[in-house]
Parts: sequence; structure tokens; C-alpha cells
Amino acid sequence: MAEKAILFDSSFCTGCHGCQIACKCWNNLPSPTGLNESGFSGTHQNPPDLNGHTRLIMTYNELEGGSKGVMWAFGRRACRHCSDAPCAGICPSGALRKDEETGMVAVERSKCVGCQYCSTACPFDVPRYEASGPLGQVTIVEKCTGCVDRIRQGMAPACVTTCQPGALRFGDREEMLEVARERVEVLKGRGYEDAVLYGENEMGGLHVIYVLKYGVEAHGQVPNPQASPMADLVGIMKPLTAVGAGAAVLGFAAMFGLGVGYKRKKLAYNPETGDTIDVETGEVVKHGDGQDEQSVKEHIFENLPVRKGDGHE
Amino acid sequence: MSNGPVRVSAEDMALNKAFLKMMSEGKVERFIKRHSLQARLTHGITAMSCIWLCLSGLFVFVPALTQAAGPDAVLFMRMSHRVIGVVFVAVPLVSGLLAPKGVAHVFKNLFTKWDSDDKKWMKLFFPYLFMAKWIHMPDQHEVKSGQRFADGMLWFAGALMGVTGILLVVGSSWADFGMAAHGAILLLHDIGFFLIAIFAMAHMFLGSGIFQPYRGLAKLMFGNGMVSESDALYHWGHWAREEIALGENVVEKRR
Repeated sequence: MAEKAILFDSSFCTGCHGCQIACKCWNNLPSPTGLNESGFSGTHQNPPDLNGHTRLIMTYNELEGGSKGVMWAFGRRACRHCSDAPCAGICPSGALRKDEETGMVAVERSKCVGCQYCSTACPFDVPRYEASGPLGQVTIVEKCTGCVDRIRQGMAPACVTTCQPGALRFGDREEMLEVARERVEVLKGRGYEDAVLYGENEMGGLHVIYVLKYGVEAHGQVPNPQASPMADLVGIMKPLTAVGAGAAVLGFAAMFGLGVGYKRKKLAYNPETGDTIDVETGEVVKHGDGQDEQSVKEHIFENLPVRKGDGHE
Repeated sequence: MSNGPVRVSAEDMALNKAFLKMMSEGKVERFIKRHSLQARLTHGITAMSCIWLCLSGLFVFVPALTQAAGPDAVLFMRMSHRVIGVVFVAVPLVSGLLAPKGVAHVFKNLFTKWDSDDKKWMKLFFPYLFMAKWIHMPDQHEVKSGQRFADGMLWFAGALMGVTGILLVVGSSWADFGMAAHGAILLLHDIGFFLIAIFAMAHMFLGSGIFQPYRGLAKLMFGNGMVSESDALYHWGHWAREEIALGENVVEKRR
């Protein structure tokens, strides 16, 4: 199977939320249904951001400009399914992994241990993390799975199948890129000079390709996304700790081996004379409590079994 | 202390001989009280908590272990990590509140000025670890110079782990610090683990007496808290002489 991609063409999007609802329905994700339960965010964007029960939202950006004075730039906010997915690289449990067949970043929720490493690594701030209980004992990552289950059955992702204006398309990644390039040229020809293709090379190539009518930032996308440096540093800490601990254990083993047969004198202190005495021989090993007067070198070499000049006779 | 015999006056020799005879005939062995029961309990609970936290933390830190154990075992480990984490943070704090003078004493020792013997001891420490049979070390005060450094690192790493651990629990259950802050806290927690792993292993290797010259010292924290006169003179010579001369903390036991 060739690598797949979802194409989002913002110039076709009517902001109907259909994709958002299809995602909820297919994945059986709950939504607040009580009166005013969602709260008022002052925008058609609802909920205001991704959350523990919402894998996809439409974004609504109002901008000044254009022939009518207002440009309404719809966006699609969900996992971009990066080729170089830092979330999959940092996930310790294998709950997030690259699906080699489709290129999507698949989720196995049953494997999630709730560590939040993926949230810290994602340049798009996508993975959400729902915790419940007083100690947050039920913790599962939530993000778009790319509907890998549907793709394997020859179907398109749920969001794509429901898009009435045809803003979402699905197919082989190369094919989607070709369509996107053509659409950008069409939009530029119609006077949308900022129209741009997004996702061809970002993060090694995304598996959600965007045609952004008013430019990258206008549609709420991240210009030049980079994996969080924290993710790289956390990645360094693990081998560093392993090497440090391993070296320490080896060092301790060497110290122990060299210490076999160690014995020392039994000592007593006579406060009357200020003498520290070897109990067995009665010899005074130190008088008083003054500071040591030998050099470091003398300390190291004074008792070595083979001294300079010895052992050559 | 000096390794070789030191010449003393005949009068002192006679006094020393009589002193040894008296100790031998009386079958008396002297010990110095070093750690209170509260200090030993605090240390014991914190040490056991720390070991469990390191082990349970590995279930998230090491992907191979995480995947081998499976999500249910990891969930148990993560939850135990949080519960034991509370013990790790709370016990030293409560103990410190109950004995503020003890806390002040510990930190005074950590930051006391290094004298010539302290500096020399530190320079000799790494050669000594591999050549303990041949190198004798300069006398030390109540806390060895290297011990001050290592204990300081353990205090620092423990505090770092405690604070970042609390922030991680709060950030994942009750508050949202944001992705960047959460990542930074995780990184600091990992750095704390690195420091704890190295310094705690060294602490256990020496303190439990696996290292032969330190044999018997485990009793200081996991026994009655007393050190024999001979061990005290070997490890903390300046402190031992001062304590024996004062006599307040000296206990005589019949052999």
C-alpha cells in the first residue's frame, strides 16, 4: 500500500463542523450535551481546542483585508501524522507508532501509560491527555488515529467521507500533493497570492496536506514546525543515565575486587595522653588531633607493596 | 590518621599501656552515638521510598521494560510511584518540622568550611577507592568532605525529584502548565533521576558496607545508630577524638 494522506483544501471548506462530528461518531467520543455545558468561547470554534474527547476541531480565524474587508480563514486542527513523528519516537510504551503501510501515526490506547511524553514532543500541541480520579489514575492519550482501521478496509477516514463541499479528500500521498499543487496555482491565479501548500516537507512530510488560501499563519498552522528540543534532551537523558549507571556498577565491582582481603588495625583513643593507639601492638599511630602533614603523593605511595627500586634485586 | 608508629614519651607510653590493660581487663568496648532514632527512621523510610521510586520510575523511563510489563503492570507502578512519592516528600518534611535543630545541624555540616585534611581527603578519595589496602586517609570531622559533597547532591537531587514530581502530578491531574513547561519539568525530573541513580548507588555501595573498608557502617542507619570507637577513629578521626574526650555520646558495652 502506498503512503496515504488527507488533503484539506481551505478554499472549499464551509466550516460546517461535519468532519468534527463524523470523527466523534465513528470513534464513539462523547460530547457535552447539557444546556450551555460547553461554555461560551466567543467564536464558532467549539470546543475552543482539542481535548480528551475531541480529536479534531475546525478553527475559525477572522482576518482584516480582502475585497470584502474580512477574510474568514477556516482551519483544520488535528494530528498531522508527521513522517518524522517525535511523539512516536518518544512514546515509551509503543502506544503511539508509525503505521508503516499508511504513514499515519496510529494509537493503541490500551498500551498508553499516561506519561505525557508525547504532549511535550509534538510541535503542533496535538496529543491530549485525559486524567480522572484524585491521583489521575486513569490517563489515556487522545489524538487522531488517521482512521487506520478504516483505511485497511479500503475506506477513507470518517472525517473525509462526510465533507459535503469536498474540502477533505483522501488518497495516495503523492496524488494528494499533486492535487494540492494544482489548487494552489488556481488560487494564486484568482488573486490569492498568499495561497500555499503546507505539509509537503514539514516534519519530514506530513500525512495531512493543506491548501491554505490565506497563508500558513492565517489558517492557524505552525510555520516551520520543529520537534521540541525537550524531546531530544529527554532522549539523551536515557542513554546517559544508562551509561552512567553502568559505569558506576563496573567501577564498584572493580573497587570491591581490589578490596578483597582488606584488613585494618583496631584503634582506641586515650584522651588522657591524646594518643590514638593500635590496640593489638600498643603502638601510637597518632598523637593529638592535628592536621595531616603528608603530601597526597606520600599518602598514595607510602604503603604500596612495590616501591621504587624494589623488586629488581 | 598517620599510618606509622609515633614516638611518645615513656610516661605517655606507660599511661597508654595502663589504658589498654584497663579496657582489655574490663572487657569494655566503646561506641559513639551518631544518629538518633528519628534520623534513622527518616533515613530508612526515605531510602526505601527512593528505591521503590527508582524501580517504579523505570517502568516509564525504559521503553523495553514498559512494553514487556504491559499497561496494567505499568499503571500499578505509576500509581505506586505517586503514593510512595508522597511518602518520599512528606516524611523528611515532617521529620524536619519535628526536629528543626537536627535539620540545622545537617545543613551546617554540609556547608562547613573545608580544612586542609578535608581537601586532601577529597584528592585522595578516588585513588583510595581502588587502593584502599594501601592508602590511609587524613582524619575527618563529623561528615567527611566527600560525604558532604555526595550528601549535598542527594539532598539536591531528592528535592529536585520531589518538587518536579509534585508538579507532574498536579500538571497531569488538576492543572495545565502548558506543553513547554511540562516538558521542562519532565526533563528536570529525568536529570534528578540521573543524579539520584549515580549518587544513591555510590551511597549504598559505601554506606551499606559492600566496600570492604566501610563494612559495619550499615548499623549506623539501619541498626542502633552507634559506631564503634575503632571505626569512628578510622572514618571520622577528628570527630571521634572530640566525642570521646567529651564523653557525652560515648556508650561503653561489655564484650
